[in-house]
Amino acid sequence: MRRDAIKFGFLFPGLLYLMAMAVFPLIWSLTLSFHRWKAATAAPRVFVGFENFWNIFFRDPRFWNSLRFTALYVALVVSIELTLGLLLAYILSERIRFRNFFRVLFLLPMAAPPIAVAFMWRMLLNPDAGIIVKILNALGVNMVRWLTDARFTPFVLMAVDIWEWTPFMFLGLLAAMQSLPISLYDAAQVDGASRGQIFWFVTFPLLLPIMVTLVLLRAIDAFKLFELVFGITGGGPGTSTESLSYYIYTVGFQYFDLGYACALSWVFLCIVLIMANFLLQRLRKEI
Amino acid sequence: MKRRVWLWFGIFVFLLGSFLACAAAKTWESQPEEFKGQTITVLITDPHSAVVESWKPEWEALTGAKVEMVVVPYASLYDKMMTDFITGTGAYDLICWPSTWAGDVMGGGWVLSLDELMQEYGYPDWDDVVPAIKLIVSWGGKIYALPYDGDCHMLYYRKDALENPEYRAKFKEKYGYEYNIPPKSWEEILHVAEFFTGWDWDNDGETEYGIAFIAQRKTQAMWSYLDIAMQYAAQPGVAPFFDPDTMEPQVNNPGWVEAMDVIQKLTKFAPPGLLSYGYSELRQAFVSGNSAIALDWGDIGILEQSPEKYGSKVKGLLGYGPLPGAMKTYDFRAKQWIEGYNQVNFLNFGGWVFSISRFSKNPVPAYKFAAYFTSPERSLLDVCGVHGYTGANPWRFSHFKNVDKWIEGGWSKESVTKYLETIQTILSDPKAITDLRIPGAAEYYDYLDLYLAEVLSGTKAPKDACDAIYNEWVKITETHGKEKQKKLYRESLGLPTE
Repeated sequence: MRRDAIKFGFLFPGLLYLMAMAVFPLIWSLTLSFHRWKAATAAPRVFVGFENFWNIFFRDPRFWNSLRFTALYVALVVSIELTLGLLLAYILSERIRFRNFFRVLFLLPMAAPPIAVAFMWRMLLNPDAGIIVKILNALGVNMVRWLTDARFTPFVLMAVDIWEWTPFMFLGLLAAMQSLPISLYDAAQVDGASRGQIFWFVTFPLLLPIMVTLVLLRAIDAFKLFELVFGITGGGPGTSTESLSYYIYTVGFQYFDLGYACALSWVFLCIVLIMANFLLQRLRKEI
Repeated sequence: MKRRVWLWFGIFVFLLGSFLACAAAKTWESQPEEFKGQTITVLITDPHSAVVESWKPEWEALTGAKVEMVVVPYASLYDKMMTDFITGTGAYDLICWPSTWAGDVMGGGWVLSLDELMQEYGYPDWDDVVPAIKLIVSWGGKIYALPYDGDCHMLYYRKDALENPEYRAKFKEKYGYEYNIPPKSWEEILHVAEFFTGWDWDNDGETEYGIAFIAQRKTQAMWSYLDIAMQYAAQPGVAPFFDPDTMEPQVNNPGWVEAMDVIQKLTKFAPPGLLSYGYSELRQAFVSGNSAIALDWGDIGILEQSPEKYGSKVKGLLGYGPLPGAMKTYDFRAKQWIEGYNQVNFLNFGGWVFSISRFSKNPVPAYKFAAYFTSPERSLLDVCGVHGYTGANPWRFSHFKNVDKWIEGGWSKESVTKYLETIQTILSDPKAITDLRIPGAAEYYDYLDLYLAEVLSGTKAPKDACDAIYNEWVKITETHGKEKQKKLYRESLGLPTE
């Protein structure tokens, strides 16, 4: 009995911290999501039941638009980053010249803060003064309105994301490749397998578990897309690049509609949990 | 006996000294070592931070206080400020904010009423402040902010293009009439902008364009649209935002739709980077000489004067005028178009102001610092170009009179006379439309900005965009309470609230 009390005594500060920093904000935001609270005008909170959730699903086209964009964004960037990361890892796991130099070079984009990356690309692609546009113009390529044409801007964001986060996949896969047992490769070679066969029947299956983890981590992170939208397009033109996180930020910190923003956040959380579960189950089946 | 006289004399001197000391402390002018050891924090954006930067060293040396600045981008100002208010943190004592948010900031009761401080310490020459500016610092009959900037949009045009007789003749040949200088209507602007698009009319070896304006989302693009909407949807003295009797948004009536159509057409005659133009990009692009016409507050005029500092290639080449009107306007009360010329001055944005947070722990030093740099002589240096580009435009009568200081700021007499005349005419127009001043203004305008961006990028038709804005405005009004909004809207227009 006394031993239990001592154990609990040691656990208590940690539990208290967890309650204060994680559980309380969650409960508080869940409570708020059932209220209408226009905090900017100091209006009182009014309990509205499920009205916020009803509005999200049935009266808010902007929510669906941002969800659609975010889902497309996640699907495209994660699959391209995985493919490129795998390719780079495979190439750089071989003994090629300047291997170490390239390894460091490919890691640099990931080391930069996302908001700095966003502003850097915004300047590079500036239609009047951007160096990329100037080079293209000098080469005789017609002006492309990268940041102002709704047909291009989503892909500009995706390209920047791929540039920045492919190294994450590369790094994880390279580490995994280097830890694979060499005996399997020796055996495959003795059996006369080609390089392609070795990759598909030895390397790829062995990499799948780490790929599941990397895809999951990257998908969750990409779903939270904010900095690139904030720094490069501001969600525009129109709402063509408005991600779900950016929309929630706008509702919460531009309109200060805190009840609605909390409801949106809970919907967001549920979507991420469902996606993570789905990905885990689906990819585990593949393994 | 003699001793008693000396005693009374001593008491008299002591009382007189105390009285004078008290009297001295109760002036808006800061006193030596008055706030020694105290720190005030100012929340501000660029370029307005230049004003605080200019006066901070002098005021710190005088009073012994310390001024700390928190400079944030415009897009983050509202959330930084509001978060501080809502959480009651009191991280900022003095806040520089645009008066267009008066409904939320003053109406929400987040900033101190300055009436008591002004009564106690006085304010430097209040009668010198232009009435339109006195209006924007007030809410419900009380003063909540100190003025510092007189804002209204105006038209800038390149004299070397529009006044060129050869170009005028070619224009007449093409369109069958001579344009006014400056152009008087948006119908005329469409033609002039088209005419000056896509060729090198200033012979600098680069292609130029007809018109430039703020068009980037979340950087105040809606003002460019409102410049046009005011002409097609308002009449002098009649604000077009809502029907004041029913609080029905008017934003999708034929006048507003026509204005949306005009601004969409104008994008064809603008530089390729138009949709990435925030106010900074617009100003930089226009003074570097890429367009014939621009819409902006008084800031382009300041940048124009400094080729070395701001890369201006248009010094002395700019003309200034009021907003163009329209050849017809929609009367929402009669629900019909009125044919004939209509020109409305609009006090876009109202101007930046300084307020003291309700949670400030140092309201007196904050007040006295703001009073210090908004005094007539000091504020003149901030608006006339002597302190460079500060984002502050003239707002005191004395600013319009003291031309010599403007010349010291780099202006020619001819330019500054025309520039000041244009701004003063707009600010002193008793029928100028004031900005939307109700709670939620930031949200109403954000939706306007959002769907405008879709129109400018060609992804939404003008009518569809206006309908979408209407639906959002209805929702926002409902959320804030229709009757409450109606009362405040009527109050802001000076109409009886019953």
